[in-house]
Amino acid sequence: MSGNRGPRRARAEAFGAIFQLERPRALVFVDRTMARRRGVSAEMAKDLWRDPDADGDLGKTPLSAPLEAHLQLTNHCAVGCKGCYTGASPTPAAGEWGLEQWKRAVDELAAMGVFHLALGGGESATLPWLGDIARHARARGLIPNLTTSGLYGLDALLPIAGLFGQINVSMDGLGQTYAAVRGVDGFSDADAALIKLRKKKREIGINVVVTRKNFADLDALFAYARQRRLNEVELLRFKPSGRGAAAHRTLAPTDAQNRALWPVIAAAVKKHRMRARADCSLTPMIAHHEPDPEMLARLAVYGCTGGDFLVGVKASGQVAACSFAAPPRKRPSAHDLADYWQQDGAFGAFRQWKSTPEPCRSCRYFSLCRGGCKAVSAHLAGDPRAPDPECPRVIDFARAKGDRRSTLLPIVR
Amino acid sequence: MLAVKLGMNPNSSSLGVDVTFLLFGAAAVSLLTPVVAALLRFRRPPTDER
Repeated sequence: MSGNRGPRRARAEAFGAIFQLERPRALVFVDRTMARRRGVSAEMAKDLWRDPDADGDLGKTPLSAPLEAHLQLTNHCAVGCKGCYTGASPTPAAGEWGLEQWKRAVDELAAMGVFHLALGGGESATLPWLGDIARHARARGLIPNLTTSGLYGLDALLPIAGLFGQINVSMDGLGQTYAAVRGVDGFSDADAALIKLRKKKREIGINVVVTRKNFADLDALFAYARQRRLNEVELLRFKPSGRGAAAHRTLAPTDAQNRALWPVIAAAVKKHRMRARADCSLTPMIAHHEPDPEMLARLAVYGCTGGDFLVGVKASGQVAACSFAAPPRKRPSAHDLADYWQQDGAFGAFRQWKSTPEPCRSCRYFSLCRGGCKAVSAHLAGDPRAPDPECPRVIDFARAKGDRRSTLLPIVR
Repeated sequence: MLAVKLGMNPNSSSLGVDVTFLLFGAAAVSLLTPVVAALLRFRRPPTDER
């Protein structure tokens, strides 16, 4: 446990250890030799270092605990975006946890060695105890980060903004494009929220869900982020879950857009000198442009790491491999995560990515991409074990086989 | 050093990874490694953590 002495600084792993740096903000993965040199002892590693073959082999086995936990603190949100992946509603869902239950969950995550929390919803900024849970996380050595729409709860958020490592505002388009993507005209309010938050702290960015309707505006969104002096643009893939399942046909990028995404990001980053982050589920679209796999590995660019690098916790406290995944059959609670994490078969298909069939198995990015986004596979292909049906390689493979299903996917033009 | 994951992910729906360095190629990534190694060298040892 880290007590009240700042963020967790290190954690032993089978491959060695993970260190946390505060400046620059980074998690550094090292082998056992370097771990020892930097103060991680075999005693601290306990039985994690028993297998000599695991030394330096990041990805051989799931991590001993997630790097970050995604807590959906509430499903309440009054905005009603048409593509909302949680299907958030104007009233809280039945059985939502309160502050004391979330504090216990944070204690469990801290004891496991989790580094970061990503707090979301619904709209978590409207929770009267958001600051309490953020302070509790800090006290336990976890860094809380937050995504907000910026449309509600801003007055309460501004005084506690400093508690968070990074705050991003959802910004899926500028002006009318915002409304075209979200079905709600919230650009002006979200923009005003960004301006106010940026006056409070430097680590403010935007989350952009890449859709068919804002693809042409991505460069303008990077320019906007630069103009507002934000520190990052985080690009997210449209997921067909919650209300997004119905909106997928009209909002998900076309196949041509998915193939063009990486060059568009690259050009925007260079032109506007903005940092870009990419959602794990965009890894197939990045791999399509054949970057050096060694470089991807060095920057920890992975595809699906649900139930491994990350874990999701629903508003009712149930654990899932990621925010889009259904809870496992055993319906483990976040209070019992450490026990469930170690169980055989935990997180089902998410940890069985090595059994993903062709064309993933022969792909040179397989060990990184891990078959792409299982949430998308589950919704579009009906099986989380299926190769990501929006991956360009998977589409080309199906076309080469004469599989008409690939041409029936709504993303293909 | 095996990997460096830069920044913090605020997004509660996915693992966001900083891809900026990818744009500048292997040379930039290979420059990053010794810098991070040096920073690690000068930090306090994590004696209280597993």
